[in-house]
Amino acid sequence: MSEVQRKKYTEQEKNNIFGQEFMPNIDSMYNFAYRLTFDEDDAKDLVQDTYLKAFRFINSFEQGTNAKAWLFRILKNSFINDYRKKSKQPAKIDYQEVETYYNSDDVDYTSTTDLRVDAVKDMLGDEISNALNSLAVDFRTVIILCDLEGFTYEEMAKILDIPIGTVRSRLHRARNLLKDQLRSYASTMGYQTDDEE
Amino acid sequence: MDDKSASTGDRKLSCNDVSKCFQLLESILDGENIPNSQEALKEKLAKCEPCFKHFHLEQAIRDVLKTKCTKQAVPPELEANIRQIIQEKK
Repeated sequence: MSEVQRKKYTEQEKNNIFGQEFMPNIDSMYNFAYRLTFDEDDAKDLVQDTYLKAFRFINSFEQGTNAKAWLFRILKNSFINDYRKKSKQPAKIDYQEVETYYNSDDVDYTSTTDLRVDAVKDMLGDEISNALNSLAVDFRTVIILCDLEGFTYEEMAKILDIPIGTVRSRLHRARNLLKDQLRSYASTMGYQTDDEE
Repeated sequence: MDDKSASTGDRKLSCNDVSKCFQLLESILDGENIPNSQEALKEKLAKCEPCFKHFHLEQAIRDVLKTKCTKQAVPPELEANIRQIIQEKK
């Protein structure tokens, strides 16, 4: 971002933006943070840090633009820069690198329909949540942003700093991985899959 | 729904442009602004069996994600804590 001095909001304006545009998103923000960290305290810290940064840099927020997308971008960057580093999890593959390597805007759209619609509809909330939680963080994130939070591809591209083509291909892969998880739940629930017919 | 009344027998059993169709279907499902999307969707679902199956499974997955994923309640003190820290820093 350029260092050009942006227009300054007055104290009153800052408080209004913070109270009326930022704070109402705290529910979505906390749930996003929790789904990234799987820990209540980490999620709280992450949301708190995000809001403090948002207030500090409030002059770079353009009123009239999507505050929720702006906040999500800060949260996601804080997660990558602060939390992922200090977490004790063993290093995972960086999917962004893998994707770039395979020039992945080309997606394999081969149909894998051996998961039944009625099996999906009968899944319990915990099964859906567990399937989502089992995905690597980059795949989990696109599904959260798209399906749970309703962001558009363009907003997702901005939040994640990736091209729209990559948003699409990552989403498609993420949903295929999710289907694999759901398929294994479905078979333990006793649903027939097309494979077995 | 209209598309359910269309008999499977009328649909093509294979699609020769799966990638393009699926991309279009997924964009529509994800709420992207596609010109004439409803017409395009109706036509695809009525004519093409792979697209029909794909669409309904994808829709079901999006629906359960949207409605069933467990939500965490925001800790009640969080908002007050944030406001307090900001007040102190001013």
